[in-house]
Amino acid sequence: MDYDFLFDVWHLFVRALKKTIRTPIVIISALALPVLFLVLFTQIFTQAGVVVMNPLMDSGGAGEAVVDDINSGFLSKMLVTPANRTAILLGRLLHDMVMVLLPVGITLVLAYALGATVITGAPGVLLILFTAAFFGLAMSGLTMAIGVRTKSSQAVAGLDLVIAFPLMFVSTALVPYEFLPRWAQAFSNVNPFSYVVNAVRVLMSTGFVWSTILAAYAVIAVFAAVTVGATLYQFRSVEK
Amino acid sequence: MVNAVETRDLVKRYEDVEAIKGITLDIEEGEFFGFLGPNGAGKSTTIKVLTTLLRKTSGSVTIEGFDIDKDAREIRKVIGVQSQETILDGDLTGRENLTLQGHLQRLHGSALKKRVDELLTLVELSDVADKRAAHYSGGMKKRLDLASTLVHKPRVLFLDEPTTGLDPQSRIAMWEYLETLNRDEGVTIFLTTQQMEEADMLCQRLAILDHGEIVVSGSPVELKHQLGGDTITMSFANGDGRVKDRSKRIVSGVQGVTKVLDIETGLAAYAKNASALVPDIVRLFDENEIRLTSINVASASLDDVFLQHTGRRIRSEELSKVDTWKNHV
Repeated sequence: MDYDFLFDVWHLFVRALKKTIRTPIVIISALALPVLFLVLFTQIFTQAGVVVMNPLMDSGGAGEAVVDDINSGFLSKMLVTPANRTAILLGRLLHDMVMVLLPVGITLVLAYALGATVITGAPGVLLILFTAAFFGLAMSGLTMAIGVRTKSSQAVAGLDLVIAFPLMFVSTALVPYEFLPRWAQAFSNVNPFSYVVNAVRVLMSTGFVWSTILAAYAVIAVFAAVTVGATLYQFRSVEK
Repeated sequence: MVNAVETRDLVKRYEDVEAIKGITLDIEEGEFFGFLGPNGAGKSTTIKVLTTLLRKTSGSVTIEGFDIDKDAREIRKVIGVQSQETILDGDLTGRENLTLQGHLQRLHGSALKKRVDELLTLVELSDVADKRAAHYSGGMKKRLDLASTLVHKPRVLFLDEPTTGLDPQSRIAMWEYLETLNRDEGVTIFLTTQQMEEADMLCQRLAILDHGEIVVSGSPVELKHQLGGDTITMSFANGDGRVKDRSKRIVSGVQGVTKVLDIETGLAAYAKNASALVPDIVRLFDENEIRLTSINVASASLDDVFLQHTGRRIRSEELSKVDTWKNHV
């Protein structure tokens, strides 16, 4: 990994951040969603599920941004410079990782205000944030792959939901594993979101159960490798 | 000396359509070169291939001595590209747009800051440099877009119809920037256009492109010279084919006329001393009882060159815009 590569990632990260900050509606919805989730869903979902719901449900930004850049020609404009191809995508994904911290942080603060605690303390909170951001990267990779492939923001929004809904409802976010019907248990076993929820749950209420936490990271790593890898692969066909 | 752009039998095929059918080009360093042709001639496709955005099907391309198959990255460091659509990030300010382009070209620090200021002054956007580009007018956006292609001081600049859609004032300003760049900084410019006057005024050399092939190339003066002088265009009251055929024979017989072509509105004849021939032509039509509705004389334009090589006008509406045409009847 050379210096130029990091340089490109950094400047494209900053660009994405500026664009977001200057579009207040994006920030407002990123802040409103966790409040809504918390108010509406704590009765149905487990606390841990609500904490990481944002990276699951609000990850379309990466896909929509790349669709915008493709259709406006800005991507072409970047592609005729020596900028690293991978860095163009990673700069944006890094932004989405960081942006996940905002709603997840707010959810944790609100949950605390409502009486929930994180048994593992500050280190646990940091790990929860990291878990959410890491999962956010994988989900953003997914919407970005859809964006690069379809060049349509409707497709991003639509497919994103089609994938996110089963991940959310057929997981341990809704009810503990033991209460899931058998078919749902089978799906939950391969559902990355379940692993994320389980990791957050032990960090919130049990302690540093490393087997659960590391299992989550392994699953997220595979999930992210697949989605980001798919994006990079699709991206090569942009130049035909 | 190495050529700025060199192509040999360049072909680009999309599934079943051949967009470029074997283009061979040599553009010297410092040249102002134009690609003139109608919509769909293959101008944009050629630019996209030359600027590494599209992969060619066959043939070879070198830019500043770098082979496009092996050294695409080196090529990207020495070229600037402005596409037909104005492309900016509207959420960023003018200054930020230029700075980002600079970063992608691996420039930084005070050198980049200085270059950005210099460019903002050049395209007269210093006053609005810190406003978001989305709020700029069309002409300002186009100027900023041009500036953004210049941050790294490219040696070859590719411009795809850079003045399409601009108001006359902005167009003239754009021409001036381009001439300055080419003259004072020695930047090689490769421009595509479908406007004859633009090609005529700016380009030292041009190639006329039609259906993916170069039909003729040379300097504007040379090309017009080959036509053998001025153009006389005629239209008739009774436009049926027989009248046109008879008229064609009559005009062809006039001494001094080198060539007569059918055009949509009537006939076009080429002659060195065109004005002097008008009385003769009018008299001959009179004797043959053919009613002329108009007869015009003009110095040959690049559109005539295009017409001669393809049998069509680039755009027929372009005819009515040429203000040098003098009415003689």
